[in-house]
Amino acid sequence: MQALIAKRLFIGLVTMLAVSIIIFLGTKILPGDAAQIRLGQSASAENLANLREKLGLDRPYYQQYLTWLGNFLSGDLGNSLSGDAPISGLIADRYKNTLIVSALTALIGVPISLALGIAAAMYPDSYLDRSVSMLSVVLVAAPEFFTATLLVMFFVLFLGLGSTIVSGSTEGMGLFALIGHFALPIATLCFVIASQMIRMSRAALLNVMASPYIEMAILKGLPRRRIILRHALLNAIGPIVNVVALNLAYLVTGVIVVEVYFSYQGLATLIVQGVQTRDYVMVQSLGMIFCAVYVVIMLIADIAAIMSNPRLRHPR
Amino acid sequence: MKFRTKNTPDFENMSLSDRERLLGMVGQGATRRDVMRWMMALGATAAASGTAFGSATAAWAATPKRGGRLTIADDQHGPADTLDPALFASSNDYFRGRMFYGSLTRLTPNLSYEPELAEEVLSNDDATEWTFKIRKGVEFHDGKALTADDVIFSMNRHLGPDTISKAGSLVDMVSEWVKVNDHEVKAVLNSPNADLPIALGTFHFKIVQDGATDFSMPMGTGPYKVKEFRPGVRTIGVRNENYWTDGAYLDEIEHFGIGDPVARLNAFLNGDVDLMANLQPRAIEMVNAAEGKEVWSVKSGAYVNLACRMDHSDSNNIDMILAMKHLMDRERLVKGVFKGEGSLGNDQPIGAAYFDHCPDLPQREMDPEKAAYHFKKSGIGGTTIPIIASEIGPGCVEQCLFLQREAKKIGMNIDVQKVTTDGWFSTVWMKAPISAQSWNMRPTANIMLSLAFKSDAAWNETFHQDPEFDKILVEVRGVQDPNLRKEMYCTLQEKIHNENGCVLPAHRNYVDANASYVRGLSHVPINNFGGSECAPTLWRDDV
Repeated sequence: MQALIAKRLFIGLVTMLAVSIIIFLGTKILPGDAAQIRLGQSASAENLANLREKLGLDRPYYQQYLTWLGNFLSGDLGNSLSGDAPISGLIADRYKNTLIVSALTALIGVPISLALGIAAAMYPDSYLDRSVSMLSVVLVAAPEFFTATLLVMFFVLFLGLGSTIVSGSTEGMGLFALIGHFALPIATLCFVIASQMIRMSRAALLNVMASPYIEMAILKGLPRRRIILRHALLNAIGPIVNVVALNLAYLVTGVIVVEVYFSYQGLATLIVQGVQTRDYVMVQSLGMIFCAVYVVIMLIADIAAIMSNPRLRHPR
Repeated sequence: MKFRTKNTPDFENMSLSDRERLLGMVGQGATRRDVMRWMMALGATAAASGTAFGSATAAWAATPKRGGRLTIADDQHGPADTLDPALFASSNDYFRGRMFYGSLTRLTPNLSYEPELAEEVLSNDDATEWTFKIRKGVEFHDGKALTADDVIFSMNRHLGPDTISKAGSLVDMVSEWVKVNDHEVKAVLNSPNADLPIALGTFHFKIVQDGATDFSMPMGTGPYKVKEFRPGVRTIGVRNENYWTDGAYLDEIEHFGIGDPVARLNAFLNGDVDLMANLQPRAIEMVNAAEGKEVWSVKSGAYVNLACRMDHSDSNNIDMILAMKHLMDRERLVKGVFKGEGSLGNDQPIGAAYFDHCPDLPQREMDPEKAAYHFKKSGIGGTTIPIIASEIGPGCVEQCLFLQREAKKIGMNIDVQKVTTDGWFSTVWMKAPISAQSWNMRPTANIMLSLAFKSDAAWNETFHQDPEFDKILVEVRGVQDPNLRKEMYCTLQEKIHNENGCVLPAHRNYVDANASYVRGLSHVPINNFGGSECAPTLWRDDV
């Protein structure tokens, strides 16, 4: 087991290194550079050259990359190329929002989705199953900005509850105050992640339900609820955990639309702004953070899948 | 500078100091006759003086109240936000600049100027030396008194080849700033410029403290002090109790950006923000219909246009360009796309909001017959004309689509290619033969023309070369005779109108929105939020 984790972590690190190189090249392929965007169209060639030299953009690519890598490994995220603010400060202003929203969404959305999925699997082809399936298909088809708009229209503009943007400090808020503060973004994201989890948990369970040992249990006359919760669920955990993990990682890295719509500052907006200003240092740093989140969450999911499945635990 | 007071001084167009004086008179019980006598002495007509008395009485009823807090949403913000005036890059920087700093001069709604931190502005006869007498008794937020050293330091940041200033080109005729004494500085110019004090009233020329290098919590002389500045998150300013003049009425201003136009509008309609920048034209009717919300529209010289490169064989056919100029449905663009919050363009950039606008130039109308004549003369026949456009501003894409439709009727094939905004300026602008542009207004005609129409200008997007145009443009900078000045500017505008590859169908207003309890709005036409000039005068009527 430990050997396995060590191996996975090593692969994770290699992945991160590869990703950092890809991101670096990606930011360099884009037209324009940070100096040009910062100085705007009016910049003279001299001004541009001055700023490029100051920002180190005049050096060969491999040197820029290696300098960044060295600083990053020594824990120095560097300064933003677009405004000289330290990147650690920019991240510090934003990571809490991202963390709070994704944690609360997971806390609320994951149990509800799994419960719905399991319930649907428990009574296949019932009205419950059909309505849940229908709901999840509708949700998966509705983009975030649409869901968010509907929620704002109904709750804020129609019922007059809450506000359309999430602003202000979250300092010193308790759990319920935080849920209230971020209610609409959390609700939007719950809808977004729910569909995949509902469908996956239902499908995984029904898949297991088709296996011979469940048939045996049915023939023995066990109640369906007991069969599912006690015998089937454990064997379906692998794929369910995987889809939950993917959604959690998405919550940390990919919620740009929701952040922009509700106008709170999170990490996803920051990386997009980094791309727009060709600030490769910031894009790289955030890319590494996101990549690490993926690696760790997927690792946990794999471990959970292995732990729950004896065949994987004791590979032949 | 008498010739700058072109507008009849109705109340909205009066300079701030005149307006305050008038308000003072009304407040002290002056009669209509007193006011008219005073105003006619200033050169106003009797009718205008009467109207001004009415406006002033109404305005005095709304004398600013102190207190309260406003939440203000700009249309963008991000990690690049800065409080270093030389590096200001966007509207949200400009707004904060006005909150926290002061400048030597301040722009007025008719794009003249009035002294601010300079209490007196004087020039020599040929406008090659400008003297600024610094106001005494002005303090920075940390209590340090404003002196000539601060002014010299601030101004020198925009000079020289190594300057990092984004506005260096506006003052590149200044060869040096000289300290005369503690409260007097002099700008020595290497070529005449009658408009220098106007340039110094624009966004970047804010006065910082002598020696300032760190702009994370800077000291200014503005109406508000920095309480919190977090780039891309929010900025909070609190009242500067020692502000040297009237203003700074609010206890606190919170300012941030909401990039998404729909989210911004929702936040505004729901009352989460009190002022919002950049109201999309399609939402204008919605705000007008909403209770307690107002559209804050300022007529300006900003415009949308097509830039046809005169140095490119695909686009330098003057008859093809004239055909396009005659095919633009200007009325429909202003009504349909800008919802009336705009004005007709006349294929030259100096619209009616500019001081030096030439009213004698006849308005070009849509005329399919003339267009067909030029189209035939151009000999391009069925060749497809590609125009590249992007949503870089309202109306940019629509002007192309309108043109495309009209062109089809006379057999002209226009292919509109829509691309993404990202990378527009480095990959399309000034590279494609014909591209659709959106321009902001500049404070003076000369700045605008020098920036984008002079043959050697870095932003000469049509690459039109005309030595005679350049000669007049440089000469007029030193001309102080109003008639000659007008004539010269008219020649320049006519030349662009007829000879340049700039197809300019419409000017757009700067349109923002405010809750109706927000008062003290400014109307300087060079940017959103009344030229980003409103911060000192904003107040709340409901406190």
